[in-house]
Amino acid sequence: MADEFPFEISPMFEGERVRKEGMFVELGGPKSLGLELVRAKPMDEIEDDKVTVVGPDLKEMEEGKTYPWAMIFNIGGELIEADLESVIERRIHDFINYCQGIMHLNQRYDVWMRISKDTAAKMDSFEPFGKAVMMLFKTELPFIEKMQVTFYTDQAEVEKKMTEAKEIFKVRDARTKNLHDEDVDVFYGCTLCQAFAPTNVCVVSPDRVSLCGAINWFDGRAAAKVDPEGPQFAIEKGDLLDANTGEYSGVNDIAVKLSSGEFSKIKLHSFFDSPHTSCGCFEVVGFYIPEVDGIGWVSREYQGMAPNGLGFSSMAGQTGGGKQIVGFLGIGVSYFYSPKFIQADGGWNRVVWLPAMLKEKIAETIPADIIDKIATENDATDIDSLKAFLQEKNHPVVASWAAAEEEEEEEEEEEAEEVAVAAAPMMMPAAGFQMPAMASMPMMPAGGKAGGVKITFKKAKITIEKMTIREKKE
Amino acid sequence: MTKVIAITGKGGTGKTAVAALLIRSLSKKGKFLLAVDADADTNLPETLGCENVKTIGDAKEYLQAEITKPRPDNPDMNKESVLKSKVYEIIEEMPGYDLLVMGRPEGSGCYCYVNNLLRGIMDKLITNYDVVIIDAEAGLEHFSRKIIRDIDDLIVVTDASRRGFRTAERIHELVDELDSNIGQIHVIANKVTDANREKLVKLAEDLKLNMIGMIPLDPKIEEMDIKGIPLFEISDDSIAAVEIESIVQKLGF
Repeated sequence: MADEFPFEISPMFEGERVRKEGMFVELGGPKSLGLELVRAKPMDEIEDDKVTVVGPDLKEMEEGKTYPWAMIFNIGGELIEADLESVIERRIHDFINYCQGIMHLNQRYDVWMRISKDTAAKMDSFEPFGKAVMMLFKTELPFIEKMQVTFYTDQAEVEKKMTEAKEIFKVRDARTKNLHDEDVDVFYGCTLCQAFAPTNVCVVSPDRVSLCGAINWFDGRAAAKVDPEGPQFAIEKGDLLDANTGEYSGVNDIAVKLSSGEFSKIKLHSFFDSPHTSCGCFEVVGFYIPEVDGIGWVSREYQGMAPNGLGFSSMAGQTGGGKQIVGFLGIGVSYFYSPKFIQADGGWNRVVWLPAMLKEKIAETIPADIIDKIATENDATDIDSLKAFLQEKNHPVVASWAAAEEEEEEEEEEEAEEVAVAAAPMMMPAAGFQMPAMASMPMMPAGGKAGGVKITFKKAKITIEKMTIREKKE
Repeated sequence: MTKVIAITGKGGTGKTAVAALLIRSLSKKGKFLLAVDADADTNLPETLGCENVKTIGDAKEYLQAEITKPRPDNPDMNKESVLKSKVYEIIEEMPGYDLLVMGRPEGSGCYCYVNNLLRGIMDKLITNYDVVIIDAEAGLEHFSRKIIRDIDDLIVVTDASRRGFRTAERIHELVDELDSNIGQIHVIANKVTDANREKLVKLAEDLKLNMIGMIPLDPKIEEMDIKGIPLFEISDDSIAAVEIESIVQKLGF
């Protein structure tokens, strides 16, 4: 294929930098307009392999100058549909950079290209360049049956195309934002955090961004396609075991594998039962407040204390390390926008506290009927004031209090709730140290005195930094 | 193959001056090189006569802010190509060489993903050059993050002070802990005078450090510094420039 084109083509040229000194012309970039767009078109509207240049062609350009640039690829084929446009468009960056002496950077309406003097000397027109890029597309993505490209270098034309394209991108973005877990067959995993959290299993789905907030489902898809052996990889979601908690057989399988058998289940939209593991670099940590049976959230930026008497860093220390800590959950901020946000455990109706800054930032996603019932540090700084606030506002969790009280009286001598134990603030260690989880603990002997309290722990995780037990002196 | 040389040492020993002199010598020899300022206290651009302000740190912050927006405008953004574009934009094109400034340390969020993208970009960028010269702080932070993975020659610059040598020793230990691919470690003694020459040689021997050169205290450098003339413009016959030539030879050029 090297003979067919005036310049060499190889992935080897991918990082090639065309310097100002060695550049013939610059197209788009920080000083001008640069656009790229892929459109799915009916087969009969595409003239296969055709390159059109609107405006000055390469040989008519002046050395050292910057020109506006737009390239619009039309693609067709039996399997081609509009949803594929963005996937294919992402590859433009790769394929153009395979061309020797042609540098391509950025994307969409920020495209920046440079053509080297050496490469410009080998051709008069952009035509061989266009043909080379289309050849690469059709070789690597054979479902593209027909392809044609138009390059625009005329300022007015580029401006016109830019306006049209921005509308197209807007429609496309609206569509991507509407993608949900049930619409796809594949989720993505990421192992970047395993360097410091070896059992961490990060699962990224359309309705659940990575804990760091940096990787969404689309990033996973792009990265896994380019380097399937890299830190982001595909997870076949398998069978849906429980839609409410977000349990999938494929996710459970990967949980076992990535945690080396430590966890057998991960439920994507659950807070209490087999929650997602928490790496340590999550943007926000959620914490159960047993006294009000609600969940509070604190973000990395919040410097103060949450009503449970802990700040972000001490809770992060407790939660991090790639563990499933029942009673705590690390998330990325975007997860608040998920329609499946902790839906297994009441979703927004369970949220009782947020730092004011965070609440303001995400206000648009909080349901209108609950937003005023969620306290911030301005309303509640400890459990008592939080309780009073929730009661006054008649937060949905309040309804569960009365029921719980009745139950408690009946079951006082029975089992303590596992969750309550894990999340009780007094049990918090200073560092992230954690004892192995035990299936059950032997019952404590009730002691000599009658009327003593019997405590049974089931599936409890207890961490104690220091504990002193001494006989009461009377 | 690109040769990667990192220069480090205690602050005030003149490591940035040594880096600038090496860049000057190698680019005069026609080597196409990338100069990297990896010290948070950015001095190299000025020493090279460049008023560069944009840094990789800025590019990282830009991308981090963009992608951690609660509701990104474009969830399907090609983050790799966007970051690469920012990095390529930041590169300062100097006559005969490129300059890249790492800049400020990262903010409090998680940069694993952005750093991973940056690693891939740097791997490919480096292959454009014959030589990469990195002015690195003593803590070698960028190496521990593996933003730049492999170093062929690590040069520790020290003056005659005991603390300068201590730092050299500590860097030695640090390198072992880093488990980076570092080829050879050398020491350059800087600001050498007749009075301290013997002491320096002995110190290096005691600590089993491989001394690759001794740059005499050059009054011209001090003079240029006071006048604010970039060190890059030093004359070939200055005593420091002459010694650098012999060091460059020992490094295999």
